[in-house]
Amino acid sequence: MASRGTNVVVSRAYRMRQKLQSALEATLLEIEDVSHQHAGHAPMRALPNAPQETHFNLKIVSPKFTGHTLVKRHRMVYDLLADELSSGLHAISIVAKTPQEVQQK
Amino acid sequence: MATISLSSIHTSPSSLRLLSSYSSQNTPTLSFYSHTKPSLSFSSVSLKPITTARSRTLTVVSAFGKLSETEPIPLPPAPEEIAGKFPSESGVYAVYDQSDVLQFIGITRSIAASVLAHRKSVPELCCSVKVAVVDEPDRTALTQAWKSWMEEHIGATGKIPPGNESGNTTWVRQPPKKKPDLRLTPGRHTQLTVPLETLIDRLVKENKVVAFIKGSRSAPLCGFSQRVVGILESEGVDYESLDVLDEEHNYGLRETLKKYSNWPTFPQIFVNGELVGGCDILTSMHEKGELVGLFKK
Repeated sequence: MASRGTNVVVSRAYRMRQKLQSALEATLLEIEDVSHQHAGHAPMRALPNAPQETHFNLKIVSPKFTGHTLVKRHRMVYDLLADELSSGLHAISIVAKTPQEVQQK
Repeated sequence: MATISLSSIHTSPSSLRLLSSYSSQNTPTLSFYSHTKPSLSFSSVSLKPITTARSRTLTVVSAFGKLSETEPIPLPPAPEEIAGKFPSESGVYAVYDQSDVLQFIGITRSIAASVLAHRKSVPELCCSVKVAVVDEPDRTALTQAWKSWMEEHIGATGKIPPGNESGNTTWVRQPPKKKPDLRLTPGRHTQLTVPLETLIDRLVKENKVVAFIKGSRSAPLCGFSQRVVGILESEGVDYESLDVLDEEHNYGLRETLKKYSNWPTFPQIFVNGELVGGCDILTSMHEKGELVGLFKK
């Protein structure tokens, strides 16, 4: 599972962007790879190869979040990224807002 | 993220202690305490004997109002009404019991919050409270106000309020003890009589707040878990924690919990048996002040 990080052909970030963008019709989609910040913590150190693309910060603004609780929104994102999560993606930090919520600020 | 230091998250115990000698031949120590912001710290303040301090006391009193001339505010029967009857500003307060005996003089960053906390912890000693808001509440002004009331009371009765005597911890909120993390099994080779999923289900339903974290609550092994522990501690909520990395006692917990909650990452926080979310959601709710209501339910 961990060794896949070394033979990534298309980057995980790219795949994530494709999946999220098409499903959520996001008006804003920021994907930031912060894996380097987590390279030292225990579960990452336990992996045999230096893991890549394990931690991301996501900022997503999508009309599809309207009417859903935070838990539901996060679940939507997690469901879209299920394949990634089962293939070495370790954690994602998610900010999920609707266009209306962004406007109010 | 992994390098967040513990000290930045666990706030120091919120009790403040001031020890000072009151007079030379009889040197009881005095303590005061603020329930709210732990950031306020007082260096030692010495109370001078009344004889020499009287003139200065008078000038101080004129600024804050004398203790004896302040009207006591009776505590409402319902704690929820306290916020409406007491100011939320910084100041000093004096708590009286049912027999109108002064029990404690305190200093605080929020009078209402301190009164509420005392009312909850020692209702039998809280009957009415005199309060004085201190304008421009820097620590010198607050300490001065507190001193002036203490000196006035000691001058009038010759006694230190029992709650201010050294060694009396009635009015000091005890820092919550760190609970041990819960363990699902006594050891890896235990034969479970029920499926792990059932154990998890029972656990989150029988405990109000449960946090599944990486590492122990006293030494979380991931930045997100650490933040969650920090938030729960700062909310002062009584919660249970489980270390999902503990393969000896919680073998299989990670994978089973992911399926149970349909949530792929950790930490995970449950309240009343329902998944609230992970670190992002908890942080967001904490910042919006939504957790207080959630934990009350």
